[in-house]
Amino acid sequence: MNDQAPGLALAGVSKRFGATRALIAAHLSLRPGEIHTLLGENGSGKSTLVKILGGVHSPDTGSVTLDGVPVNSRSPREAIGLGIAVVFQEVLTAASQSVLENVWLGSDGTFRRRLGRSRQRAIAQDVLSKISGGIPLDLPAGQLSLSQRQSVCIARALVRKPRVLILDESTASLDVESRDLLFVELRRLKAEGTAILFISHRMDEVEEISDRVTVLRSGRSVSTVERSDLSVGRLISDMTGSSGHDETRRKPHDPGDVILQVSGVRLSPASAPMDFELRAGEVVGLAGLEGHGQDQFIKRLAGLSAGSGSVVRLLPEGGRELTERNGDALGVAYLPRERRGESLFESMSIRENFALPTLRKDRRGGLLDSHKTARRFEAFARSLSIRFGASQDAISTLSGGNQQKVLLARWLATDPKVLLLNDPTRGVDIGTKREIYAILNRLSAQGMSIVVLSSEVDELVDLVDRVLVFRDQEVFAQIPHSGLSTDSIVAAYFGQKSEVHT
Amino acid sequence: MNRVLTLFQRWPFAFALLLALVLLVLNLIVSPSFLSPARLPGTLATLAPFVLVGFASTPSILAGGIDISVGPLATFINCLFVAILIPAGLGDWHLAAPIILAVAAGAGAVNGILVAVVRLHPVVATTGMLFLLVGLSLSIAQNPVAAPDNWTEVFAGGVGIVPGALLTVGVAGLIWFALRRTAFVSNLLATGDSDVSAYGSGVNIKSIRILAYTLGGLFAGIAGIALTALVQSSQSSLASTYALLGLAAAVLGGTSLAGGRGGLLGALFGAVAIYLLQQLLTASGVAPSLIQFAYGAVLVTGVVLGATLLAPRMKRNPS
Repeated sequence: MNDQAPGLALAGVSKRFGATRALIAAHLSLRPGEIHTLLGENGSGKSTLVKILGGVHSPDTGSVTLDGVPVNSRSPREAIGLGIAVVFQEVLTAASQSVLENVWLGSDGTFRRRLGRSRQRAIAQDVLSKISGGIPLDLPAGQLSLSQRQSVCIARALVRKPRVLILDESTASLDVESRDLLFVELRRLKAEGTAILFISHRMDEVEEISDRVTVLRSGRSVSTVERSDLSVGRLISDMTGSSGHDETRRKPHDPGDVILQVSGVRLSPASAPMDFELRAGEVVGLAGLEGHGQDQFIKRLAGLSAGSGSVVRLLPEGGRELTERNGDALGVAYLPRERRGESLFESMSIRENFALPTLRKDRRGGLLDSHKTARRFEAFARSLSIRFGASQDAISTLSGGNQQKVLLARWLATDPKVLLLNDPTRGVDIGTKREIYAILNRLSAQGMSIVVLSSEVDELVDLVDRVLVFRDQEVFAQIPHSGLSTDSIVAAYFGQKSEVHT
Repeated sequence: MNRVLTLFQRWPFAFALLLALVLLVLNLIVSPSFLSPARLPGTLATLAPFVLVGFASTPSILAGGIDISVGPLATFINCLFVAILIPAGLGDWHLAAPIILAVAAGAGAVNGILVAVVRLHPVVATTGMLFLLVGLSLSIAQNPVAAPDNWTEVFAGGVGIVPGALLTVGVAGLIWFALRRTAFVSNLLATGDSDVSAYGSGVNIKSIRILAYTLGGLFAGIAGIALTALVQSSQSSLASTYALLGLAAAVLGGTSLAGGRGGLLGALFGAVAIYLLQQLLTASGVAPSLIQFAYGAVLVTGVVLGATLLAPRMKRNPS
């Protein structure tokens, strides 16, 4: 042994994915016998940190040590071998395998079973009854509820008797009873000396169970707070770093008539029905932690998903229900979130990517006139200041920001009245971001209604007239322009309502 | 009705088993001597290569991939043995059997490495292997070469009162049964069901995949022996016959092409059903050209039934 403190320590860990710096010199110390919470908003680097500890990613620089011994796991298997068990954010079960198989999945060698079948049954039974009140071991995992499947994943980590247990948002899919049982078990493990890293976006849970809390912001570890100094207000301001943001917020225009009417929409069967009105010239932001319903909501607005309630486009001649067809005559255009998976045709040219939904405008005598397409594209390229070589070049020759502008042009070409943008500045450089903000401002001044889903809080503060914050598949808070600040939005992410808006 | 459905969901091969039983009865009606002791060893010997090629197709499908080269691998083994090993004086069983099985498992392992390490799509990798093996078989033995007396004859006849075909199929079955008692089959099914879950839980999915294809190759090697036993000559032209029959048997037997569900019993009953269908059609005087049509119809029906009616209802993830 050496002089380092026992437990798991990350020192100066950085990780980069392409242009994105997910972690920047992050520090964390996790002692045996403590429950340490990792807190941060979207994209703060929590999941990257967990994946480094779990052997999925390896850090670019910096060191990870367990009891002073370097940890260089290159696969989850190696991490598990070192006594680090991770319950990943995704609920990872093999649906057609039994609960028993799922609990012991990965514990055995390729051929050799570490324990006899009857021992495995007994242990699985015991662990599952502790954390979920018992799940039939022979049922296929696919027939369980989400909460039960999550319990199976947690049991998979627990049966390995890890020295370090990492729970990445594992309580998000647990029902209340299972969560309470899990907390009892976590306290017992802590008393036995297990080091537990806990990630949750529920402040009540964080307050209830944490011995210490480390806050991550934009890939940096900004503070570590002892239980005695814990305050929700402090944690939220650490997460937002609210001191230094330049106020460049826009002046709202006077909104026009209601253009899109949402009534009685439920994002999950259990959530309350919601109503929403979008007026002409308005810019509305949608926010929330990953997976809290904002994504479903914008897709519902786009007519891409069906469900209870109605989304009606109000036209002078009356209301019309939206169709699945993007950018049709109803004038609602949707820009999806994943450029590569949902929007781009990577082997096609810039011009083809631009023109695909609007090719009918370029017909002459039933045939395509490529000069017409080129002229239309030039016009948009000028107004959006798209930088490109020739419009016949492959779209892949452009930077992420310019690709996004081409896609924006694609949907603007459909002449929409309502523009729905799903995280439009994701992976876009800062200069282009500013340009996109300016474009959106100009469009809304011309009377276009814009709904922006964004995972960047600053962006929402700068860009929109009001923000809907989603939590547990419902609108948790509506923050008007006067109440917009990074703190008020992030507080709402974590279920706290500030006094400004009630 | 619900209980019947539950039964089908619990046992994915139930449809193939039922179909095989019905076809067996029909065969007995058309030709009452179908199961007579005199005909039985011959019948089983014809059946064995079907079953074994079905076995050979199964592990890679369970792992979430596919191997379309197992049929040609069986005929390649047949040509290798008859046209190379026997003339070279390596025809004795204690020399030839290890060589054959090692070559076959090696071909499977190459498929596995191409899929798991080089990350080729399984269809691409194993189609390449298919053409390679067909080409090799043709260059070894373009025209059928008769095999002189050799040890494989046992597997077409009988050992005492035991039909020899039961030995080849039985050995493959035993290997699988033994593997089921290790963690391998659990790891294999989990990898095919959800490779992300298996990887995240610490399963070495690369070696599991390679081993799955290797095991398929080994079974194809045994199929090559059973085929040689039956035809007693090199038959490179049979490659195309067996190429897809193995897959058909596995799929008809309820093994899910999505991976993670099924097993060797499915391939067994699937192969038996296909064989009995062929026998029935031949015995009742249907034109040979229609037989393939009938295969297709049965296969499509079986897969549609398996995929829609009989697959267990999984709760979908909300995401």
